Amino acid sequence: MAKTAEQGVTRREFLVRSTVLAGGAFLSIGVGPRLPGGKEAEAAMAVTGYTPSIWFTMTPDGTTTMHIVKAEMGQHIGTAFAQIIADELEVPWDKVRLDTPLESVENFGVYGLAYTVNSGSVTTEFDRISRAGALGRIALTEAGCKLLGAKLANCHADQGRVIDQASGRSIGYGEILQKVKLERKFSYPDDFRQVKLKQRSQYRLIGKSLPALDIPMKTNGQAKYGMDVFLPGMAYGSLVPPRTRYASKVRSIDDSDARKIPGFLKAVKIDDSMGKCTGWVVALAETFPAAVKAAKALRIEADPGPYGELSLSDIMEEFSSIADQPEKSAAWVLEGDVDKAIPGADRTVSAEYTTDMVCHATMEPFNCVVQHGSDDSWHVHIGTQSTSFARMTLTAYLSKVLGRKPEDLKVFVHQYILGGGFGGKQDYDDILAAAYCVKELGRPVKLIQTRESQFATSFPRTPTFHRLKAGIRGDRLDAMNHDIVCGWMGPRFAVGKQFDNGTDWLQLDSVDGKKADIDQWSIGGSDHWYHLPNHRVRAWNSDRTTWAVQASALRTVSNSYNMFVVESFIDECAHAAGRDPLEFRLAMLNGKGGNRGIPNSGYAPGTGSDYYMDQLWISLPWPQDKTWIPYESGTVGGALRLANCLRVAAGKAGWGARSLPPNTALGLAVSSAEERQSPTWVAGVAEVAVDPATGRYRVNKLTIAMDMGIAINPDNVRAQIMGSALWGTSQVMSERLTYRNGAIEQTNFHEYLPIRQVDVPEFDIELIESGRHPVGVGEPASTVVAPAVANAIFNAVGARVRHMPITPQAVLEAMKGRKA
Amino acid sequence: MPTLKINGQSFFSDSPSDTPLLWVIREELRLTGTRFGCGLGLCGSCTVHLNGQAVRSCMVKVGEVGDAVITTIEGLDPAGSHPVQKAWIDLQVPQCGYCQSGQIMQAAALLAANPEPTDRQIVEGMNGNLCRCATYPRIVGAVRKAATLMKEIRNG
Repeated sequence: MAKTAEQGVTRREFLVRSTVLAGGAFLSIGVGPRLPGGKEAEAAMAVTGYTPSIWFTMTPDGTTTMHIVKAEMGQHIGTAFAQIIADELEVPWDKVRLDTPLESVENFGVYGLAYTVNSGSVTTEFDRISRAGALGRIALTEAGCKLLGAKLANCHADQGRVIDQASGRSIGYGEILQKVKLERKFSYPDDFRQVKLKQRSQYRLIGKSLPALDIPMKTNGQAKYGMDVFLPGMAYGSLVPPRTRYASKVRSIDDSDARKIPGFLKAVKIDDSMGKCTGWVVALAETFPAAVKAAKALRIEADPGPYGELSLSDIMEEFSSIADQPEKSAAWVLEGDVDKAIPGADRTVSAEYTTDMVCHATMEPFNCVVQHGSDDSWHVHIGTQSTSFARMTLTAYLSKVLGRKPEDLKVFVHQYILGGGFGGKQDYDDILAAAYCVKELGRPVKLIQTRESQFATSFPRTPTFHRLKAGIRGDRLDAMNHDIVCGWMGPRFAVGKQFDNGTDWLQLDSVDGKKADIDQWSIGGSDHWYHLPNHRVRAWNSDRTTWAVQASALRTVSNSYNMFVVESFIDECAHAAGRDPLEFRLAMLNGKGGNRGIPNSGYAPGTGSDYYMDQLWISLPWPQDKTWIPYESGTVGGALRLANCLRVAAGKAGWGARSLPPNTALGLAVSSAEERQSPTWVAGVAEVAVDPATGRYRVNKLTIAMDMGIAINPDNVRAQIMGSALWGTSQVMSERLTYRNGAIEQTNFHEYLPIRQVDVPEFDIELIESGRHPVGVGEPASTVVAPAVANAIFNAVGARVRHMPITPQAVLEAMKGRKA
Repeated sequence: MPTLKINGQSFFSDSPSDTPLLWVIREELRLTGTRFGCGLGLCGSCTVHLNGQAVRSCMVKVGEVGDAVITTIEGLDPAGSHPVQKAWIDLQVPQCGYCQSGQIMQAAALLAANPEPTDRQIVEGMNGNLCRCATYPRIVGAVRKAATLMKEIRNG
């Protein structure tokens, strides 16, 4: 590595090589690189820069730019990462900047998979970016010490300076960089493993509510989203909502009316041979309004395809009959023997639950700008949750459409701020369609979805069907069986992605020995942390549903329906057992057996999804021998941490102690979203007032207690908890997407109803900093609201609603059916 | 052909008169701080001021604007430090930020018309502006804070 450093390699080359070496040799730190990015960038970098790692670049003025591969979509992840790195690196906060690497084949080899999902960024990156910062500090301290002529034992770094305690003299980081060329090698993994990280008491930036670096530009119009890109000669595209959500075929396009619209260029039938953009026609014009007009003026005949007569009611009927076929199920949880325990129980509880479809409805509709460069490169400008998958998918598509080898295609993805993600911006049909338009038109194209075309081509959360049965012995839950039918998203996600292990990457094996796959992303959350002697979860995929509605991941993924079901049903069991729902839960959250948690992330495949998550999420090329240092798992402490959250939330809400008005009650719920192997512990109490005459209800107050280990930025953690809890409120109260004759019925925000100001409840939020490994906070609180509200409605008026969303009509109907 | 008065400058637009003002502002004049959300006046992301009144620019046709003075987020304050903007930063309101130009323009118009709104009036005045990140509680807090800042300015 020293040799390559002498050759004055570019950062890209350096980083690629370090990646190769990361498999077991050295991770070199401190070559004097030139930044990639053309002559201008090189000129700007005429002075030696210092790039200790792929995570940040320090220039001789001491400015430190953090390279953030995670998507900035409202969670302020760049600020969090910068706080973590800058703390260990000891750079002053005012010297910190952020940037986003360009996605390309080369940079993929450097930065790894750029993919932002599952509230996983802090969980998976905290340890390694801390170490990267610490190694940078060590290298600078050593160099500064030498320049000061001091003894290393007397030197330490403090806020961008290396200080010799013996003489009291000091030197700034920037000055060090100007004076010497750093060449410090650290062995991997030994030095990485042995680096001494700060104790929590030594943190200066971690744990501080620093203002987010991306906020000022979001108050003055300067923030740049994908839609804010303009390229010379650019045309605009508007998508005609296709006849069905999926698999319709365009037979003919009549553009005679569209041609009368000034600025209209052409109508393009998008190549859908990859199974993406099916039935899509894009109207191209000189301006966006002209493109919209033209799209409306096109007369398209389409074959509706296999789903043309399929409706939500058919799907729900199918689900119910699928659940009658146990032999076709796959098992996700299998403890004890529910088939023996339930018939032998003192009492049994049975219930069926269903949940509707919802969609992301990000305020920023899908959009992108695609350009085909004169050097045959393809450039995509977009805000996306995965620039890597965007590049891979477009490469696969262009390869098919152009009949060229993938390795001969140069595809670059430029990342912008996302106007909301929520799991929705990890599909790339718009990029493919825009690229196809570019091919047909020979000009750059900006494709903007109208709200109508966005709803028509949204990627909904699957509808779900649940059948539950429980056995109660004495006053405790002895057995629980949970059967789940829905459309599994995993197989759909695999299309167009380049993985060595093919399409199997999202599937785990059935735990009952059957040769069957199971899609954890569609089932997770049902594997709760209650200690039960007998517990089984079985699952069925409705493949037709997956494809027909284009089932996708939506904030907390399957937890967003499974926690509603599990936590409502646990309440039902508590009432059947004649116990207080709080006491009933706490008795089972005892941390026994498999609910004690697992000490680190480095456990064997098949025992947990961390293994898969690490492979998916990393922003470091993963050493194939898995020698990366395991960080403490979020599961440590297990169910006892969940019990603690529940005690705190229940206590703060005055559970069992407060006097409440008539028809007003509290309901509680716990959740460990996102996945069982990457939990964030959270409990919520909802205070709900129900009008027994109309069934209308109001969420008065939400009390949320969350144990996220360490809060990197407590003020932002609160913001994330509030936002996600309101997302949950919106899901239970008013969001509903319906599907009829193959198409999504809602077209805009008068038909699809996210929460607005008037429905916002009061909040009481408690951050529980247990000092454990920090975990994600952007989603989990959303999962406790729906069941807490459902349980509060039951406690208020005796109405048990087993469907989400909970409509006033359903409350009224359930009130009629309540026990006298 | 309409000449538009936006943020203290005159712009010539050759868009057809039935073009939504939003697209003239965003794509033709490239004042991209004004965002497209729904196209039907349902979300408020595209809110600008027309003679000081908050309007949904997706619902205003460029030919109808006439001599009206248009203010976008870029022109709300030359330094981006209108009391509403200051309050927005102070309370760390934005998450994804996409709707926030519209929220800020709505709040500024609300406070111009009613300098000391009650919480109820803030909630009702801001109810037409969707925020999918649901930054709603902080929006209310920031409007309250902006009202205080503006009062301090008025009282010197």
